[in-house]
Amino acid sequence: MSDLNKELSEYTKNLNKASKDSNINRAITRAVKAYRDTVEDTMERHPHTPELAEEVRRIKEYSMENNQQLLEKAMQSIEKNKGKAFYAKDREEALRITNEIIGTGKTVVKGKSMLGEELQIRHGLEESGNEVWETDLGEFILQLKNDRPMHILSPAIHVPREQVAEIFTEFFKKEIPPDIAQEVAVVREFLREKYFTADVGISGANVVAADTGQIVIIENEGNVRLCTGAPPVHIVLVGIEKLVPSFLDSMKVAEVTWRYAQYASPSYVNIISGPSKTGDIEKVTTYGAHGPKEFYVIFVDNGRSEMLKDPTCRQALSCLRCGGCMYECPVFQVTAGHYGRTYLSGIGSVWTSFVDGGVEEAAPMLYTCLRCGRCVERCPMKIEVPTMVGELRNRLVSE
Amino acid sequence: MPKYFLKGCDYPNMATKKTLPPVLEILRDNIVEHGNPLALKSKELSSWAKGLDLPEKGQILYYTGGEYQLLPYIDSLVKTLTYVDPASNIFSWLMEARKIVNKTGINAEKIYASILAKDKERYFSINYQAATILQKLGYDLCYDGKNELYSGALLYELGFWKELKEYAGKVAKSIEKTEAKTIVCLSPHAAEMFKIIYPKLVDFPKVEVKTFIEMVWEKRDLLPQINYNQPVVIHDSCRMARELGITQEIRDILTSVGVTYIEPIRNKEWTTCCGGPSKMLFPEISKIVAERRINELSDTGSKKALISCPYCLSALQSGIVKDNDFVLDDIVEFLYRGFKN
Repeated sequence: MSDLNKELSEYTKNLNKASKDSNINRAITRAVKAYRDTVEDTMERHPHTPELAEEVRRIKEYSMENNQQLLEKAMQSIEKNKGKAFYAKDREEALRITNEIIGTGKTVVKGKSMLGEELQIRHGLEESGNEVWETDLGEFILQLKNDRPMHILSPAIHVPREQVAEIFTEFFKKEIPPDIAQEVAVVREFLREKYFTADVGISGANVVAADTGQIVIIENEGNVRLCTGAPPVHIVLVGIEKLVPSFLDSMKVAEVTWRYAQYASPSYVNIISGPSKTGDIEKVTTYGAHGPKEFYVIFVDNGRSEMLKDPTCRQALSCLRCGGCMYECPVFQVTAGHYGRTYLSGIGSVWTSFVDGGVEEAAPMLYTCLRCGRCVERCPMKIEVPTMVGELRNRLVSE
Repeated sequence: MPKYFLKGCDYPNMATKKTLPPVLEILRDNIVEHGNPLALKSKELSSWAKGLDLPEKGQILYYTGGEYQLLPYIDSLVKTLTYVDPASNIFSWLMEARKIVNKTGINAEKIYASILAKDKERYFSINYQAATILQKLGYDLCYDGKNELYSGALLYELGFWKELKEYAGKVAKSIEKTEAKTIVCLSPHAAEMFKIIYPKLVDFPKVEVKTFIEMVWEKRDLLPQINYNQPVVIHDSCRMARELGITQEIRDILTSVGVTYIEPIRNKEWTTCCGGPSKMLFPEISKIVAERRINELSDTGSKKALISCPYCLSALQSGIVKDNDFVLDDIVEFLYRGFKN
């Protein structure tokens, strides 16, 4: 028996094991119900959302067609705003640029970012001798658990409070009861000190407005505000697919994103254009008032340009990462993120094929998809996952 | 070489040849070489039509694609796969068995039948019942019998598009020979292939493609009433609801025959998959997905679900746990009751 046999066998065993895991079962069942109920309620309260989603589809299509021009414009806008903009063609380049900015021996606080997962940025920075803290609560739990996200929005969806208590008790070296409020409080206390002593804050972005160079980050916990506001340096890592022409467009994309991510309105929407500044003394602009003095935006390609050239799969770049499709996927509902690598479920198999290992690495995921199409019903961008999965299976067996 | 792929049966030298999971290659080869995924004999697949004396040519072609007939054999195979590690030598041996059997000229059907084919009678007779219903509604059917070829839906599903293109040409020719103007497909998968996929691949005859449900719906006023005094629950198949957009027709038919129906929590274009598509590669996941769908259906309080897709029928059947008295009827079986009475 070869190792290849073993790998598919291991993947299948892992899926089967996950499907029988009572923690996953309980957590996902609750999450799916909560998601559907909340989205239904949210859509009733904001009935213009589906129409807005259609407009956003057109904005995204235009943005894909004009990605290169938007990238150039956004980089110029950021520079005008006294930030520094970079283009990284792959993971190595993104890591090199980030490492050059940060150096070594620094403390870094990081917000949740799927691109960060794709680039394995935390590990990259740790390898360069930096101390990196995930500040999203779910990501923080996974960092301590040495685990990977099981949902793009709720990364620790598979970890129940009892297990969180065990992890925290061991890490904080004091008894933390399985009480969610107390679990949240202990992390708040611990990270607060990190935000204000960190040298660098790293974030992702949900959308970038090319005309103003403004970065939009949606969040609920408030950790992104602190990550991007307290340290003297802020680095944004963002995929080139997140570019849209104007600030107004970016707001439309943001609203549709959070609405399909089940929020009537998120607690915070961060809009960041450049470094912190003041002109309060003699109207002399001085950078680094209360927020970061330095602001860097790294636009990452890492396979996205190839995706853009692909007539069938380019639509996947329109994904808003709202996570709605996963809640509707019958396989994800029983296996959570075990059906996936960095990117999860059907849409994840397409992303994996381009940005995280290629079609061969995505093969098990591509064949796990039922091609049932319910994800398309949920998707605000109407991304045809079954079509892309079929096409990629064809390429795989035709190679 | 794909990192995750299994060593294929035909490719012992892994250093030089790309390999696929053996089950995929077997299905592909069987369709291309034998006209159906399990290489069953066409005489066997068409045996249900004995006694109906359907002509081979006519205006309305009744198309089974052998899909209901294949179900018990697929189930047998899946039950075997579920308990055998796909990475094991035993699995490879099992997958090789079909080829060995064919090469040595042993009757493959006997081997399959001797493994597990207890539902054969039921699935074969659904073809007969559906044809009878259509005839009673006044449709003059023809049937290509032993010449009928499987639609190739699995080639499409699994990504074997190059093979499908060639194969679809053969299917299109065989359909053309029947001189039909309308094809009535018993399976929504076949309807999807002929309606949506084939026209992109081959010069497909200018025929109207319809499902059994649509044909019945058009003449629903002629259906006899069905004496069933409990509500049934409808399971919409993904292909039927989302690809073909057929949902209300099923409900209209039930209303016509005087049967009340209940909707499950997820229905119509939001229907939940039966788990069938992952049956061959991930049988355990498929079964759990099916069990969950059965829960959604039985949570309505109904004791009977109506199904309108062969793969859903088979997959959901495996989702009914022991001692659960929940029953699945194919809509064909259910409507046939009216004619029996």
